[in-house]
Amino acid sequence: MIKKIVLLLTFVLVVGLQAQTTLSMEVWTRYSMTRTNSKTTQSTFSLERGYLRLDPTFTDKIKGRFNLDFFSSDKYNDGAGLKLKYAYVEFNQLVPIKYSKVVVGLDKTYFGTIYDWEYMTIEKALEDKEKIVSSADYGISLNGSIPNGFGEYAVALVNGEGYSKAGSKLNINPAPMVNLRLIPLSGVTFGGSMLYEKANFTDTIRAAYDKRLDYTGVLKLAYGPVDAWFEYLVQQYGVTTRGVYNETKSQGFMIMPVVHLGLAVDLVGRYDMWDKDTKTANDAYSRIIGGLNWNILRDAQGAPNLFIQANWQHTTFQNNTVKPTDEMMIQLRWKFSNTLN
Amino acid sequence: MKQILKRTFFKAGIAFIKVGLAIGLFLINSTAVFAAKNSITVAGSTTVLPIVQPAAEAFMDIHNNAKVSIRGGGSGVGIASLISGSIDIATSSRVIQTKELQTARLKGKNPVGTVIALDGLAIIVNSNNPINELNIKTLKDIYMGKISNWKALGGPNQPIVIISRDVASGTFEVFKEKVMGGDKAREDALMLASNGAVASTVGQTQGAIGYVGIGFLSEKNVKPLTIEGVLPSIKTVKSNEYKLSRPLYVYTNGNPKGLAKNYIDFILSSAGQKIVAETGFVPLN
Repeated sequence: MIKKIVLLLTFVLVVGLQAQTTLSMEVWTRYSMTRTNSKTTQSTFSLERGYLRLDPTFTDKIKGRFNLDFFSSDKYNDGAGLKLKYAYVEFNQLVPIKYSKVVVGLDKTYFGTIYDWEYMTIEKALEDKEKIVSSADYGISLNGSIPNGFGEYAVALVNGEGYSKAGSKLNINPAPMVNLRLIPLSGVTFGGSMLYEKANFTDTIRAAYDKRLDYTGVLKLAYGPVDAWFEYLVQQYGVTTRGVYNETKSQGFMIMPVVHLGLAVDLVGRYDMWDKDTKTANDAYSRIIGGLNWNILRDAQGAPNLFIQANWQHTTFQNNTVKPTDEMMIQLRWKFSNTLN
Repeated sequence: MKQILKRTFFKAGIAFIKVGLAIGLFLINSTAVFAAKNSITVAGSTTVLPIVQPAAEAFMDIHNNAKVSIRGGGSGVGIASLISGSIDIATSSRVIQTKELQTARLKGKNPVGTVIALDGLAIIVNSNNPINELNIKTLKDIYMGKISNWKALGGPNQPIVIISRDVASGTFEVFKEKVMGGDKAREDALMLASNGAVASTVGQTQGAIGYVGIGFLSEKNVKPLTIEGVLPSIKTVKSNEYKLSRPLYVYTNGNPKGLAKNYIDFILSSAGQKIVAETGFVPLN
């Protein structure tokens, strides 16, 4: 661990001296309690996120991001883990398309709601929760804004397996991905995303599917103090077993209304439904989430930088033999940043 | 599947109705929501600060119950704050950018800009510097580091100290667009957070060069340079003869209304435009 810290500090110094760099940190400390069948099955404090982020500006047109994620986990002997979350360079106006940029490296995934998920609930976005796509992935993308604020687009080639699985025995062949968001009216955003991946791997690398298609439709509404997010999500994947090709379809949706009570408090509701295999009975579940975000402090730009989130979530299962679960989570999030010249 | 959906929808419906009622009661009881606002917050460009600050004081003298709070931060900070809903008016020395407009529209905001004054980006040097004029190409070469000593321009044998603005600044954006054409300034350029800091640093540093709004030319020991044969002045900015001129904006969410409208109307009035002229900027008429 000491070696890692020394390497990290060296990196910070090197980058900090080479370019104007914004250094920022974001920490999520969480308490979770889970109850099933009127019994407490989990009661835990954890460090869910400890982002250390460097955003160097090399020139007016070239910027980068390097983000480490420190977290507590029982998976490791010392109870902590370290993941690389983002590591990319973006080249603005590299291609002759106005307001476009090319991003190379480990970047956010331009897919569904995970792309601009703001964690209004403590729970992850539906595609992240169901591991349809990961929040960051290795690849290259061309993305940009549509003039006059009418939306944005992204075309990418990514591994498709997410940032935490790269190098494993998975299908890491490049997968094309597209994302489009249109904002025809202020407060009305709609669009969709698609990712397609075909397994062309060697015998030593195995994937859970031969081909896979993920797609989603997104609608966001914002009017006055009320926002509402809607998402419909589908994954289709096919597996050949003993020469027989079988396709499985998973699908679900999310509805999330948010009411902003002034700048200090957000009330959040959310309803998720997910059916893992549409051909199989008794494998669906639904989740209701109620939550409150208390924004204690905001930064100069008005974004919350010290806030508490409290969520209760109730999950019921189609299979009557599986008891419903209740989970209560309270999370303190804080962040800060500074610019090094 | 149908059973689980039916049961859950029913429960979700009841829960949402309860939450809706609670919010409704809160809003009805909240005088803050319905009462007419008698205070507004204005933030953003440090260039526009010398206009909006005295204008706010004069406005509050006339409207006894009104409170106008002013702060700087830079044009980018002002526009981001307007989009987040934490301020009522953003001041900006540049036009809103596409990405900012996209974020605003996504959040149901509709930034509307009003031009309140005109400005020229004055290129300043220490008053002891014998150089009096430059063209835009030479200026760019200086900022990129291709020319690093005043001697190369017929001045003293003295290294050129580059003073620039921080990236959140609208003045920086305008300088980048009109002079640098997207190229980066010298690595050792001093990036300062306000027009005042740039003027003061140039005034105290022999060999320094910087850029400020023409409202900041009253700083001791600085002088403006003639650019492309034209000196920045009210007359040359108004006639657009001076190449580095620009409009100054205030942005509101939707058309200005209430106290924000009254305040902006005051800045646009003859009394407000007199303040614009007194602070060294260029009034609209």
